[in-house]
Amino acid sequence: MNAQPFTSESYSGDAGEAAWQDVLRGFGLQSLGARQGSPAHASALSRLSSSGVRLGKFSADAQSLRSLPSRAGLPLLLMPVENSTVLVVGEDRQIVAAGQLILAPRGADWQLQFQRGLRAVVLSVPAEAFRGRKVPPLAAVQPRVFGAEGLADIVGRTALATAEALNRLSEAEWEAVAQSAAELLLALSGELVAATSDPSSSRAALLQRLYAAIERSMGSEDISIADIAQAEGISERYVQKLFEGTGESFSHYVRERRLQRAWHDLANPAEAAVPIAEIAYRYGFADAAHFSRLFRERFGLPPRELRRREAERQTHSAVASGQRGWPQEALAQLRARQAAGPARRPTLREDGEAGAPVPGGAARHYLPVYAQHVHWGYFSRSLDPLIEIASGDIVTIETLTQHASDDPERMIEGDPGAESVFHWTPTDKTVNRRGAGPLDASVFGRGAGEGFGVHICTGPIAVHGAQPGDVLEVHILDIEPRRSRHPAHAGRVFGSSVAAWWGYHYSELLSEPHPRECVTIYEIVTEADEPYAEALHSYRWEPQTDPSGVQHVLYDYPGVLVRPGTVTLQTNVLEGVRIPLRPHFGVIAVAPREAELVDSVPPAYFGGNLDNWRLGKGATVYLPVSVPGALLSVGDPHAAQGDGELSGTAIECSMTGTFRVTLHKKADIGGTVLADLTYPLIETPEDWVLTGFSHPNYLAEFGASGQSEVYAKSSLDLAMRDAFRKMRRFLMTTKALSEDEAVALMSVAVDFGITQVVDGNWGVHAILSKRLFAQHESGEAAPES
Amino acid sequence: MTKHHLPATPDTVHWGYFSKTLAPVLTLKSGDRAVIESITHHANDDYARMIEGDRAAEEIFLWTKDQKTLRRRGAGATDGPFTYGAGEGLGVHLLTGPVAVEGAEPGDIIEVRVIDTWPRPSANPAYAGRFFGSNPAANWGFQYKDLIEGPAPREVVTIYELDMGEAVVKALYSYLWTPQIDPDGITHPTIDYPGVRVDHDTIDKKEGILSGIKVPARLHFGTMGLAPAEADFVSTIPPNYTGGNMDDWRIAKGARMYYPVAVPGGLFSCGDAHATQGDSELSGTAVEISLTGEFEFILHKKVELGGTILEGLTHPLLENDEVWSVYGFSVANYLSELGPDHQSEILKRGSLDSAMRDAFRKLRRFLMTTQKLSEDEAISLMSVAADFAVTQVVDANWGVTGSIRKSIFPAR
Repeated sequence: MNAQPFTSESYSGDAGEAAWQDVLRGFGLQSLGARQGSPAHASALSRLSSSGVRLGKFSADAQSLRSLPSRAGLPLLLMPVENSTVLVVGEDRQIVAAGQLILAPRGADWQLQFQRGLRAVVLSVPAEAFRGRKVPPLAAVQPRVFGAEGLADIVGRTALATAEALNRLSEAEWEAVAQSAAELLLALSGELVAATSDPSSSRAALLQRLYAAIERSMGSEDISIADIAQAEGISERYVQKLFEGTGESFSHYVRERRLQRAWHDLANPAEAAVPIAEIAYRYGFADAAHFSRLFRERFGLPPRELRRREAERQTHSAVASGQRGWPQEALAQLRARQAAGPARRPTLREDGEAGAPVPGGAARHYLPVYAQHVHWGYFSRSLDPLIEIASGDIVTIETLTQHASDDPERMIEGDPGAESVFHWTPTDKTVNRRGAGPLDASVFGRGAGEGFGVHICTGPIAVHGAQPGDVLEVHILDIEPRRSRHPAHAGRVFGSSVAAWWGYHYSELLSEPHPRECVTIYEIVTEADEPYAEALHSYRWEPQTDPSGVQHVLYDYPGVLVRPGTVTLQTNVLEGVRIPLRPHFGVIAVAPREAELVDSVPPAYFGGNLDNWRLGKGATVYLPVSVPGALLSVGDPHAAQGDGELSGTAIECSMTGTFRVTLHKKADIGGTVLADLTYPLIETPEDWVLTGFSHPNYLAEFGASGQSEVYAKSSLDLAMRDAFRKMRRFLMTTKALSEDEAVALMSVAVDFGITQVVDGNWGVHAILSKRLFAQHESGEAAPES
Repeated sequence: MTKHHLPATPDTVHWGYFSKTLAPVLTLKSGDRAVIESITHHANDDYARMIEGDRAAEEIFLWTKDQKTLRRRGAGATDGPFTYGAGEGLGVHLLTGPVAVEGAEPGDIIEVRVIDTWPRPSANPAYAGRFFGSNPAANWGFQYKDLIEGPAPREVVTIYELDMGEAVVKALYSYLWTPQIDPDGITHPTIDYPGVRVDHDTIDKKEGILSGIKVPARLHFGTMGLAPAEADFVSTIPPNYTGGNMDDWRIAKGARMYYPVAVPGGLFSCGDAHATQGDSELSGTAVEISLTGEFEFILHKKVELGGTILEGLTHPLLENDEVWSVYGFSVANYLSELGPDHQSEILKRGSLDSAMRDAFRKLRRFLMTTQKLSEDEAISLMSVAADFAVTQVVDANWGVTGSIRKSIFPAR
């Protein structure tokens, strides 16, 4: 399970207190209330392992904690950090300094008073974590404080280091660390028992040593009472007697432990390639058939079946938490296979009123949208262009939102273009590849292309004479929404917004059930003084089975038609809320040079999924050309979006754009704002908008693993750094300012904003008002149009 | 309604810290207005233009071998020997106040309306009637460890003039910071203690910089806020749940700020005025200038908050004609969250990633509580209609604002 962040800031008033108690309950703890007066604050980061081990770091206002009556398990480990705490047992009060450890039995009567604020690391290990291995009876013992030395020091450091790294550990790393932490705590708990002078406790301590000796001998075929007795320096008879006291014979216990450990290894995905016989041998079963029979008797299923089920469960849980882009391993396999490029489409189709001349020698082109005119979810330098245009030409491009499938009746039916693109039956899928993944869907089985990239892009368009090093200017003359053709809704305009698993909110939903995905359908009202969007209804995503028979538990593959009746519509959504429109294209791209197939989700130097609403009518984007012909594609139309695009999507709405496309040759751009352009530059009538990314060219930066790494390593801090550097360079290069002037101006006159936190490569933009330079002379010239 | 006047004098200012222990210099009733003068702590970057001839400024900045009007500057140590000076510059802003609001108690909200702001003219006959400000690119700026020209690192101070006719600021000249020796003999190789007079004989003025460039004015107070409850002396640098050094240029004329009250009376102070600033305040400072503001104070008692936009508010909130903005910080309440060394620990915590997380949570809570939206509605609305922006990346506790336009709720 991923690390779960918690903060009371998410809640109003008492709800925050209740939610905080929920977090504590997970650890078997309860808060006895905070300081009076001002609002109580609490935050925590915690993580739960598959075996039930839970580790967390708390930070909260002054309060007292006590144990809840709870199920069996090791004593809780509590480690105050920064502030000391007071351990209260009956009448006794003991001050525990920061860095010391408290081992406090569950369900016992003790309290920890954090008088100067609660700051602690807590480790909770239930009995189940040891899979049948005996743990000493510890409920009756007293809480004990350990100084930072010896084993206690190691346990404390491990817990602290783990707490600090909690949200950076991979699933496999976390599982391994959690198991080790449980072992360490068990060992330390042994000292708790050994320390008491009560004879029953010393027997228990001896038994623990015997158990430990058995664990160490697990690999030898014959573990005898004699060996164990000798190792501990006691008589065989006494060993037998000790075991009789537990109600279990020595040999039964040993077999149980062997089977349990084998079970654990068989269930471990990291051991999936190890033959079953080898695992059996590891735990003293020389005969594999014998092992299988015992295993089935004990667990009710053969080892092979356990392995299969576990593999399935693991895959399912990977799906439930969502995975964007290529997994590392799959990319490595792809490189080994030398994947082929995208299937070529019929070349150079001319459609509609292509090539009609306009005054001034430029031509007008029209690109309608249908299956043969789109590439879905990827950019590629190898796609054949649909048309070739000349610099200065005007081209009208129809685009479809990939979210039309969220409400096929309103956004697809009756529309021949949309029907052609979304057409998908068990035997026929007109646009097969959706994403940059493998066509055979061998990674996750979601479908061809694996949904590694989701946007329906119309194009590409080749620009005559464009060469790497040139700059392509794409100016948006007009944007028109695409109206519904369904008889019941004809003429109206609809869009969809999905609060999806890749959204910024997904890891910390407050209300149940969670996680969940929620789709909101909007109507776009254009016939109003101030056009707006309003919500029609919403529904929770339910597993959808596509025509090829694949079930999509999450919104993990684009264009899966949501069938009526499979979801429950909720009306009265966002009642009375009117959202002003900001029509724009989320994706405007030229083909990147680095790879054959590039996921359409992360934006970078070539443009792509910029998701900046300033890229609307009247705006221009300048893109550095990196392949011959430039290969321009447009898609991902949005009716409105906020800075941040928090839920993962905007109001996704099919639209048609008219663009004037101008090529600026490398030789002509010296001394203009385009000199030295290596990133998408947006120009509006008022401003220059520079696009900073976590990784400005992730394809080059991470090399072959880029399409995986970029999702894992995004950060606003990095994107801010990039935006700063780009703006500094822009001011120094195109406005001829010194570095000091540029830095001074950035602090007092440039506005930095958050573009998006959901597209893998996160974005921060920097806005520079042109008005500043009305009387400034820098020798800069406007790019020639 | 009573209108008070609070001039900036050695008796009405405190330097570099908020404190619940300070006696109010003015106590007013809910609904009263006050005209409050502030003087920028960067005035000594150009003594001739920003202090000379201005009696109040001269007294406040007075510092000789034998006399230092405002000894404590910052929340740090006040017993020597000092590294930087008394208060150790742990907090730098020269604030006027505190102003107590009668009847304010922890749990209440104080609303501060910015009625108007105007600049303080130079009192030096050579510059009479003109307005000047200073903008150091300082060691705490985002650029400091990432400079591409030499010498690196360096600090550069740019002096600006504010033209109220055109409502723009223009650069006059700049200089590289040189080590300055204060009257107590401590050398300041970098800008590490506020109010050290820059000896203009030690610097080289660079003229003709940013020529022809006019930056639109955005007059505002960078620091406005109430005294926190957690500690006696709190640095003015990191903004926090009771406001403080927010450095948001939208907190300007026409804005209403709402602050949670943490101590009786609230104890409002303001200062750190800016002629203009960009979102991010990248180099560490804005165009730092002396402004006077007229404010109206309204007390909202805890019991009256239910059903209003102030319900459940635990952090500063901005309202103006267009938007509501919540303020996300890297650490929402660093005094409470970071333990005993919070004032130094917060210096390591600045991150937009955590500030964005905080802004998201605060805006979600605001929409769910005050607009009665479900969580799903709030999240959809935040994605399609809320704008997240970088407030500042230089005040230790970095800021991201989440803003939602009021006009999207016409039928509510």
